[in-house]
Amino acid sequence: MKKVYAKEELCLNCRLCEVYCKTAHSQSKDIIKANKFESPEPVSRVTVCGDKMLSAAVNCRHCDSPKCVEACITGAMQKDKKTGIVWVDEDKCIGCMTCLAVCPFGCIKTGKFAVKCDLCRTEDEPACVKNCPNRALVYADLGGGE
Amino acid sequence: MMNYVIAGASAAGLACAEQIRKEDKDGRIILLTKEEYLPYSRPSISYYLKGKVTEKDMCLRKPSYYKSIGIEIVTGAEVTAIDRKKKTVRAGRKTYHYDKLCLCTGSKPFVPPMKNTEGKENALTFLDLASTKELKKKANKDTRAVVIGAGLIGMKAAEGLSKICKSVDVAELSERVLPSILDAKSSKSVKSYIETEGHINFHLGDTVTEAKSTGNRITSVVLKSGKELPCDLLVLAVGVRPETSLAEKAGIEVNRGIITDPGTMQTSDSDIYAAGDCAVSVDMLDGSKKIIALWVNAVRQGKAAGSQMAGGEGVTGGTFAVNAIDFYGMRICTCGLINAAGEKYSDRVIQQGDSYKRLIFEENRLVGFVLINASENAGIYTNLIENKTDVTALHGDILGTPSLMWFDKETRKSRLKGESA
Repeated sequence: MKKVYAKEELCLNCRLCEVYCKTAHSQSKDIIKANKFESPEPVSRVTVCGDKMLSAAVNCRHCDSPKCVEACITGAMQKDKKTGIVWVDEDKCIGCMTCLAVCPFGCIKTGKFAVKCDLCRTEDEPACVKNCPNRALVYADLGGGE
Repeated sequence: MMNYVIAGASAAGLACAEQIRKEDKDGRIILLTKEEYLPYSRPSISYYLKGKVTEKDMCLRKPSYYKSIGIEIVTGAEVTAIDRKKKTVRAGRKTYHYDKLCLCTGSKPFVPPMKNTEGKENALTFLDLASTKELKKKANKDTRAVVIGAGLIGMKAAEGLSKICKSVDVAELSERVLPSILDAKSSKSVKSYIETEGHINFHLGDTVTEAKSTGNRITSVVLKSGKELPCDLLVLAVGVRPETSLAEKAGIEVNRGIITDPGTMQTSDSDIYAAGDCAVSVDMLDGSKKIIALWVNAVRQGKAAGSQMAGGEGVTGGTFAVNAIDFYGMRICTCGLINAAGEKYSDRVIQQGDSYKRLIFEENRLVGFVLINASENAGIYTNLIENKTDVTALHGDILGTPSLMWFDKETRKSRLKGESA
């Protein structure tokens, strides 16, 4: 499956991926409203770790055997058989955050429900990748090339 | 064609059935549950009690799912006997033949001796959907509820009831709340938060010794300290014990829980496996044998048992406790040896406002954590515990927010590629 791969050599720590992820997962879909005014505040699924010297945008790996799915106490966290996307059924999620307690990548965020990357399911390309100005994020098959 | 029978259909039983199907496309899988419901989320019963989830949303899988992958599920079917010679189990009037059997019978409520509570119409346990429905039916805005036990089950019952009832009192023999997931220090602050947010009255170091009743109905309870509390609803949530009576009757080795090989989950009978709350686990962090009655552990054991039953090589991997729970918006996340005592252990604590982080170390390894409103990226800590990572080699402050940047370049690269962590 295609996933988002981060390249730390190219990351500038500009955090635009976070801005665009937040916008894509907001109610208004407006960059200003989503990042300045919307309440509840939209949550970025991607997180830039590190500092100006060294950073990378860390995002869900959509694992083959996801620990978050294994740990989910309600069956809300699922791996889609066809697309491979790991996603949360918000009707079923009770927000206990057991998934967060076991994700080794630190890719689940706390909201009213467990919040995580859905690879912008309805779009051709995830918003973080589309808007990364220095190609530090790529949307590609296994590994993302060198 | 193999015949697989699984007794019990919660976390471990369902994981076992699904794993068997992954590894054996043709075998017959029969999943027996004594409950009247298809597999549902047991931990969600408190959310059902307070009205946050519907019964439908509690289903772990869609009803059509079982047929679609060939799992025959039978509700209302409590396994009452195992014939190990004939390799059959009995449930109700039916007999099922097995080649491989897995016992996922879970826990049963432990009810300590108390005078005058047995069989009373307003004394209830809180463990499954049926008992929760009963509780919900009996609780209303005029109810004065008393919960015995301040463990996970008792506290969740108290939280749910506090949204419905006039008053909730909690009596707990131990001096602290949530002793299984909190250390002494953090349990104090959690207790005072719950007192304020939920208006719950705690009676710690105390318990109910006797109930007073009119006819079949409890009207008040008397505590060990002599205090008497008016009581319209008594919830018995002192604790749980592994449900092992079936295994014992069949002559399978039991010592508190069912004894299994910690990797394969095989019992003393090579064709019978056990997984989840009914089985004894070996904690990988200190080698101690204990019952780890937590969801993640049950799923991992169920999967390992399923794989072995189907002739595969799946094993449990490292077993340790990990738990996340919330009370009135306060998030508690704990893992590993939170009550470790002894010279070889050390700890570091950081407390800011309403957040609390305590990390427990054995020499240069992390072996446990308690996080209150501080669970950001907690899974990275869990992973350090599971991998027995030398934390002195990490780049960064271990009391800060866990980060990929703590690791060396090679590890970072492999993690960004999504190779197993």
